[in-house]
Amino acid sequence: MTKRLFAMAREEWRLWLRSRLALCTLLIFALLVTSTGIATALRMSSEHRERTEQQAVAEETFLAQPDRHPHRMVHYGHYVFRVPPPLAMIDPGVDSVTGQSMFLEGHRQNTAMFADARASVELGGFEVLTAALVYQLFLPLLLIAIGHGLIIREREENTLAPLLAQGVTGVELYAAKGIALAGVALALLLPLAVMCAAAIGQGAALRASAGVMGLYTLYVLAWCSPILLVSTLVRSRSLAVGVLTLFWLVAALIVPRIAVESSSAAIPTLSKLETDLSMQAELRKVGDGHDAGAPAFRQLQANLLAQYNVDRLEELPINFRGVVSEVAEAGLTEVMNRYAEQRMALEARQAHFAASFGWLSPVVAASAGSRALSGTDLATHHRFLREAEAVRIDFVQSLNRAHAEQVAHGDDINRSVDSESEQRARISARNWNALDEFSFQPTAAGERLARAGTPMAMLFAWVLMLTAAGILAARKMRP
Amino acid sequence: MAELPVSPAIPIALSAQALRVVRSGQEVLKDVSFRIAQGEVHALLGGNGAGKSTTLLTFLGFLAPASGSVQVRGRDVSEDIRAARQAIAYLPEAAALYGHLNAYENLRYFLSLARMDTQRPALDAALDRVALQAEAREMRMQTYSKGMRQKVAIAMAILREAPILLLDEPTSGLDPAAIDDFNRLVRELAEAGRTILLVTHDVYGACHVADRIDLLHKGELVGTFDRPPGMDRIDTEAVHAAFATHAAA
Ligand SMILES: Nc1ncnc2c1ncn2[C@@H]1O[C@H](COP(=O)(O)OP(=O)(O)OP(=O)(O)O)[C@@H](O)[C@H]1O
Ligand SMILES: [Mg+2]
Repeated sequence: MTKRLFAMAREEWRLWLRSRLALCTLLIFALLVTSTGIATALRMSSEHRERTEQQAVAEETFLAQPDRHPHRMVHYGHYVFRVPPPLAMIDPGVDSVTGQSMFLEGHRQNTAMFADARASVELGGFEVLTAALVYQLFLPLLLIAIGHGLIIREREENTLAPLLAQGVTGVELYAAKGIALAGVALALLLPLAVMCAAAIGQGAALRASAGVMGLYTLYVLAWCSPILLVSTLVRSRSLAVGVLTLFWLVAALIVPRIAVESSSAAIPTLSKLETDLSMQAELRKVGDGHDAGAPAFRQLQANLLAQYNVDRLEELPINFRGVVSEVAEAGLTEVMNRYAEQRMALEARQAHFAASFGWLSPVVAASAGSRALSGTDLATHHRFLREAEAVRIDFVQSLNRAHAEQVAHGDDINRSVDSESEQRARISARNWNALDEFSFQPTAAGERLARAGTPMAMLFAWVLMLTAAGILAARKMRP
Repeated sequence: MAELPVSPAIPIALSAQALRVVRSGQEVLKDVSFRIAQGEVHALLGGNGAGKSTTLLTFLGFLAPASGSVQVRGRDVSEDIRAARQAIAYLPEAAALYGHLNAYENLRYFLSLARMDTQRPALDAALDRVALQAEAREMRMQTYSKGMRQKVAIAMAILREAPILLLDEPTSGLDPAAIDDFNRLVRELAEAGRTILLVTHDVYGACHVADRIDLLHKGELVGTFDRPPGMDRIDTEAVHAAFATHAAA
């Protein structure tokens, strides 16, 4: 039985080998994947080099700052970078739209930005084409091109009757053609396996890389099954090509588009202008930390005087201006974080909503799973934003603490009028070491696999349902 | 139709009982009954669209009877399609093999699907019997003429070594010499105990090789001609006359 199945599958491969068309298509695909993979890898490594250099320079200049007033360093700011995980060379995911570096400074949360914008120009736009996209969009077309005729060809060329007359059942023929197509599809995953191996070489988690292979295996099988089903059911090759191309259009172009559109319709993001206005209003209530005399800090002043049992700010053992800076920063951050969390929660819900369209399109399921496994999904980007913010508040508050504890209040007040006070209001450059070295760690493999669980289940459901339908159709196969 | 006089000692290889077949809502076989004993050559004659190919397809289980039944070696086809196909070597009307393979590759492949491992000498012997030129055998079949393809298809039917052969217009495309060869081959196979149901438009050939001819007209059996005892062929004139009557009707 299995011997016979493989004999039939081998025959299909022999046909493909002898027909130059199939061979050419395979070659073109291999070339496309390889060149895309190499282009992405080159871009990533040059960006990586640039970013580490920039980060080193930024850190060096920050640390090389002379003794200064601490608040000037708060405004001096600092860059942090997120190094993409090695698997991003397969699927850069949201990285291509979110940016991976951020300027950290006092009183504001900046948005992430791109390291540089010239990459796309230099590489002739090749960078928009990623290995993940080639696999998600082009591989199905290739499989349709070589696979749509698997069973119809036997029917149209009158070889189905001799086949079945040898005692081969319809289900056996279906299985053999399935092996033939899946065999080619899996062989086409070879370049992906090479990229995964390269990523592992660069430190990618073994389990996450295996997950990527598993996901794409399921994905190609999710395309083999409708191709086989249509080839079994439909009576003419041209109709089969038409039906499958339509399915591709819907699955690869239309449903993903609908997923995005309807997720933003179902979960509307707050208007930027409105949120900015209401956030500004809340921030104003917190008060401007540069103005220690502002009404917002009167209560703070009273409390401190009472706490230390003194009457005047000058008598306080700490610098009131520094305390105000610290308190104001904490207040601002609380407001900004609340708005940021709200925005991220909406984005996460939208992404989740859009990903649920994977039940309607294997392309959507595969792209969600691929991003999660590559460590380039939205959740990972959000984690970057949160970790960067933690670094920011830490570095700003440690400077504010130094401001409060190391700069005398009198010097602080007089530093713009008297150069001696100005000198005394500086603190030692040793304090700049308070800056934590930022290193963004890739998401743990276990968590990535967990996030890819639902997309994998979707793909598995696609394979299962369409294969079951195919087997049912194959049972009734007649010449 | 009268019960056919078949000796009970000889087993029945193929039989149809009150067979009705409907295709695309059309009744293409109506109450067809016949029996073919083992070792007999049975020819099915009739105009285009009479239902001859349909009859063969029903024996292979490719079509199911709307009512009535067909048996292969006494067993209902619907009960065990596998056994029926195992017992039958079938030469389809539009006999087609793979164009990208040569004759040997085609034969070996299709025979392997019937779980037969046939070696080169046996393949050559069969191809010799159908007189396929030796120099063509290693060429891809897409370069073959219609008759050459038909010869390979016939060779395959022989090589299957099945007890029953269903041949749908086997001589179509064959040159006169090849037709003579084929007719001889059919008799040899029958003498070796094979049962042959032959669909043909060649009245003359049928009269020479068949033990019995059934005439099918618009899905109904309208005439049966047996080879008279002691004679070496059926009366061609009588068959022609019957054919003409129904064609005019
Ligand atoms: N694939 C099909 N689907 C539906 N009806 C069919 C099909 N093939 C044949 N028929 C119908 O069945 C009837 C019998 O066809 P069949 O092929 O058995 O004729 P035949 O006797 O073999 O004719 P011919 O001498 O032309 O080969 C015809 O009326 C035809 O219209
Ligand atoms: Mg016919």
